[in-house]
Amino acid sequence: MELFEFYRKDRWPHVFCPGCGNGTVMNCFYRAFSELALPLDKTAFVGGIGCSSRIPLYINSDALHTTHGRAIAFATGLKLAKPELKIVVFTGDGDLGAIGGNHFINGCRRNVDMTVICINNNIYGMTGGQASITTPHDFQSTTTPYGNKEYPFDLAEIAVAAGANYVARWTTRNVHELAKSMKTALQKKGFTFVEVVSQCPTNFGRRNKMADPSQMLEWFKESSIRRDKDKPALDQVDLNIEGKVTIGEFVDRNRECYEELIGVGKHG
Amino acid sequence: MKPVIDPRLCKGCNICVYICPKKCYSKGTEILEAGYFTAVVSSHEKCYNHNRQGKLVCELCVLSCPDQAISWHEETEEEKKK
Amino acid sequence: MKIAPGEYFLQGNEACVQGALSAGVRFFAGYPITPSTEIAEGLSHKLKGADGVFLQMEDEIACISAVIGASWGGVKAMTATSGPGFSLMQEAIGYAAMSETPVVIVNVMRGGPSTGQPTRASQGDVMQTKYGSHGDYQVIAFAPASVQEMFDLTVDSFNYSEKYRVPAFLLSDAEIGHMRGLLKIPEHIRIIDRKEKGMKRPDEAYDVPDNLVHPFPVFGKGHKTMITGMTHTDTSKIEPEDARVHQELVERLSEKILRNRKDINKWELMCPGSKTMIVSYGSASLGAKEVAASDDRVGLLRLKSLWPFPEEPVAEVARNCSQILVSEMNLGMMYWEIKRVAVENGCKKVELLSKIGGDPPTPSEFRHRLREMGAL
Repeated sequence: MELFEFYRKDRWPHVFCPGCGNGTVMNCFYRAFSELALPLDKTAFVGGIGCSSRIPLYINSDALHTTHGRAIAFATGLKLAKPELKIVVFTGDGDLGAIGGNHFINGCRRNVDMTVICINNNIYGMTGGQASITTPHDFQSTTTPYGNKEYPFDLAEIAVAAGANYVARWTTRNVHELAKSMKTALQKKGFTFVEVVSQCPTNFGRRNKMADPSQMLEWFKESSIRRDKDKPALDQVDLNIEGKVTIGEFVDRNRECYEELIGVGKHG
Repeated sequence: MKPVIDPRLCKGCNICVYICPKKCYSKGTEILEAGYFTAVVSSHEKCYNHNRQGKLVCELCVLSCPDQAISWHEETEEEKKK
Repeated sequence: MKIAPGEYFLQGNEACVQGALSAGVRFFAGYPITPSTEIAEGLSHKLKGADGVFLQMEDEIACISAVIGASWGGVKAMTATSGPGFSLMQEAIGYAAMSETPVVIVNVMRGGPSTGQPTRASQGDVMQTKYGSHGDYQVIAFAPASVQEMFDLTVDSFNYSEKYRVPAFLLSDAEIGHMRGLLKIPEHIRIIDRKEKGMKRPDEAYDVPDNLVHPFPVFGKGHKTMITGMTHTDTSKIEPEDARVHQELVERLSEKILRNRKDINKWELMCPGSKTMIVSYGSASLGAKEVAASDDRVGLLRLKSLWPFPEEPVAEVARNCSQILVSEMNLGMMYWEIKRVAVENGCKKVELLSKIGGDPPTPSEFRHRLREMGAL
């Protein structure tokens, strides 16, 4: 599929900052989507509020830009009302894991067929750089000027525990693996979750001595460890408790999706 | 195939400079159309995809570029000989 | 799936379920909350397989969000709740108004504020229905006062929300929701569907004049629809910085409802020429109806729709009477709107019979107050 068949030419170029990981994630998604030759007219994109949630507005398809944190709830209604639609949700760490936490875990549990891409930049970027539920301990943000006293969530592990059918986490440093995971997630039935640890040089990197996007990418490279899907989580290192992030495919299972359980139409 | 940077889209973030395993890119020294120090392709002959058609071996730059500024183009006859 | 035309003896909430099914509901997302739970339970029986989808969501915010999402999938969608859940839904209600999504929300009101009286009636949410979310917007709200009206006004809620692309509310309460009474389901029920983009309308007479309501672009039909809660132009371009775009959008959202008050408003009038008129709605009007029926010194204007505020019938009553008694099961909410219109139209004596605690005002309480006012 041509670039401007996929993106809305009249909204171009996008507003993301120089070096923002959102553009990288868009590339990988576009690659996965076009390799699968999925029909754009039968796909709907849903986003909450935040920089990454704006991605659906750039794609040349039906898009629902919802309220903060509720993208998965809106997507649930849209999918079950029109099961032949393929649903892709773009969200961020705060949108999904803080205000949207309840919808996130119940979405995984309910297992409605949708693909959720969470772009985790460890900060609330759009509003200027406040701490998020994935901001690492001791790091700087506009609301943690003395260092973040809290410890972060591990969103991918939460998705595993809550029942998502496919869970993977990559960073924007692993573009080939990310595109491949997105392909798997799009093809798989049920709630599929791909977390992408991504750089926000403007509002996270700049306050934490990593103003250059390359510095953030180098940090991702040094702090990521491949997680083996056969090993239980306890054997792995948790995100940011020791300053590391585990990457890889975490789970790939075949729990029945919600539509199958209630006997509703065909799914996308 | 060789990589080409679209100066209207590049915001000079230099991720391509950092990520390319063969060091095909360098930081720009001129401010071009978009108002940034646009990165430049300093040596496309070192690229893994030099003189390659069909399936490309490495696409780290194209996939990483946040502004979709890099695309693959066929080399000229001159360039193929390098 | 829905019951056949005929006469039935049903609970108010059950009649609401039948009204929704008759109107064509195909998606319901609910959360258990007294005294509305019977609506969720009833639809969980009826909406299965090809008939539609029933979901019990994790909280009320998820319910209203899922209902809005389903509406964009092209189906008639509804949720039902009470006070505490209604408060949670306000952000999404604003979103539905801003994005012009047809949805129906049933609020079976109970004693408030906060957890209050879960099993007793009140009319404490009537202002919140219009002013609960931030910003300027208009909604449509109906107030049933019988089991029959739980059916009829549910059908109307769907019809008007579809016609005007706006959230519509059925403001019931614990008394009306739980009372049992006669329901007559007619052979033919008028159903209005949304004006869908790209589809020819079977009956143009249902359309709103002045092009204030735009055709609805259902998802999945190649429209490349973009829906957002941010300020946007007619072509869905997001323009939050543009003052003119914002004014045009927000004013149109109001105008499409306010200019069509005559089409939307519904009321019942008893003894309209009386010197003393009672103005009331819902459970609070039950006692008044008995008084007006037995004594023609007193009349009753029973409002069946509360929003947009029915200025015209109240003004007409005010011009022809010398005093008005407003009765509601709260400490005075619609009272202020009614008084404003009445005073503007020549009736300066507007009093309030307010009763909270759960029991609707009785005929004796009405007569006592009317005697104090010199009406009886």
